[in-house]
Amino acid sequence: MALTFTRRALAGIAAAAALGKREAAAQSPQASALPANPEEELTAVRAQNKANMEQIAKIALPLATEPATHFKA
Amino acid sequence: MAQKPNFNDDIIFSTIGELNAKLRAREFSAVELARAFGERLERLGPRYNALALPLREQAMKQAKAVDEDIKIGRLRGMLQGVPFGVKDLLAYPGHPTTWGAKPYAAQVINQTATVIKKLEKAGGLLTGKLSMVELAGGPSYRYARASFQGPGLNPWDRSRWSGGSSSGSGIAVAAGLVPYALGSETSGSILTPSAFCGVTGLRPTYGLVSRSGAMALSWTLDKIGPLCRSAEDCGLVLQAIAGGDAGDPASAGKSFYYAPQFARAFKDITIGFASVDFSAIPDPAAQPDLQKAFEQIKALGVRVKEVKLPDFPYGALVGTIISAEAASIFEPLIMSGQVDQLADQKQIAGLKAGLEIPAKDYLRAMRVRSLVQEGFAELLSDVDILIAPTRSAPAPKISDPLDRIATNRPLPANRGFSALIPAGNLAGLPGLSLPCGFANGMPLGIQLVGRPFSENMLLAVGREYQQRTDHHRKRPPA
Repeated sequence: MALTFTRRALAGIAAAAALGKREAAAQSPQASALPANPEEELTAVRAQNKANMEQIAKIALPLATEPATHFKA
Repeated sequence: MAQKPNFNDDIIFSTIGELNAKLRAREFSAVELARAFGERLERLGPRYNALALPLREQAMKQAKAVDEDIKIGRLRGMLQGVPFGVKDLLAYPGHPTTWGAKPYAAQVINQTATVIKKLEKAGGLLTGKLSMVELAGGPSYRYARASFQGPGLNPWDRSRWSGGSSSGSGIAVAAGLVPYALGSETSGSILTPSAFCGVTGLRPTYGLVSRSGAMALSWTLDKIGPLCRSAEDCGLVLQAIAGGDAGDPASAGKSFYYAPQFARAFKDITIGFASVDFSAIPDPAAQPDLQKAFEQIKALGVRVKEVKLPDFPYGALVGTIISAEAASIFEPLIMSGQVDQLADQKQIAGLKAGLEIPAKDYLRAMRVRSLVQEGFAELLSDVDILIAPTRSAPAPKISDPLDRIATNRPLPANRGFSALIPAGNLAGLPGLSLPCGFANGMPLGIQLVGRPFSENMLLAVGREYQQRTDHHRKRPPA
């Protein structure tokens, strides 16, 4: 199937779709109490990872988008 | 008999070029210089928890050869005869490489990291390995004490943190323990200690500098770069360490020649900024000097334009990618149970939980990262450089939980370029942090970020800024 948008255009669409709807949890830590023991720490990290994945899942991702591996000048 | 040279602070805090000129003028020998810096590193390094491994004797042997070379006119460039230190994640044969972590305290890797080989080939003298946050920070950590060598104590105020994970590298340059050092950055580990310690740090473009012989934390994010006294010094060191290397699968195969004189005229350079980064976001004590720094950059004659970063959850992306890759790399440590020997409970939990990240989520993060790169390519077709405070506040207290500091005061909805460090790392972009003033007696930094492989443009702006200001010449209290 032929693409009708450039990847750059799709990136813009994806970014616009997500505009203003989220704040990265890792950029805005919660003011909650610190975990008291290793179990609580693990629970907190798992919750953070889950929240991260949920944020990432909100980004519209064109089917043709491949994982980033190369950086060009 | 020749008079013993006086290595006073003016010499100790000299730039690479200044030291090399004195060596060539025979004001002192490379052996004398290596001894002076080696003794200073061993005497003062422990005061700041900066020293991981002294290598003075080794350096002095190499210095003898350098003196012979200089004597017969075999000159190898500005780094010849100048001591340096490296973050203790770089392998050096016959000595421990601890990665800043207790489980690896006795680890000996019989390999010389490519970057060390290159500096030694240029006549550099490795006088010691420097402390770091354990496993370069792993997925995350909560406390400055997350290091086998202890918390990095800031030379400007030892009750405050040096920044990490290249803690010892930032400290050693700021305190005059080495003229320059190598650090590494996965997401902020060169720029943060540079800003907190008041030194100039360069994060090179991903792939420009070989990581062969370096601990891996995240294959797709790790970079090695210099922390120095000036932008000029960063250029000199980068020229020596850059270049293709079959030992690093991510090597871009590109060389770097420091030539700021050939960078574009400043009037033709456009710098993108977000005004909120210099008003509402920074710590109030930091705002005056950050604003002044931006005005001084504008006064170089560049054009400026208010722009927005592409809108992505940068923290979530970089967190997911580092967690998944680090957990894979350190799976043997985690599965053996030795992970529990690490100093920081959050890091231990982060590594364990990282093993649970599904492949689909890691791949999704890496696919979204492609969109991030596209977004930055678009942004950097409109402006040449992005500018922002390196950190929006000076170094925190040693005992502060590092993941709770941002909640101390409300921030505006428009976050400006607050996420420029994770964003720049995700996009593989070079970044330069320049000392730019103080807040409550602690150093501040301003960062310039450019297109891939545009280091000369960043360094040209940095060099000109430093020719007009003296922030990079300030020294911490004795």
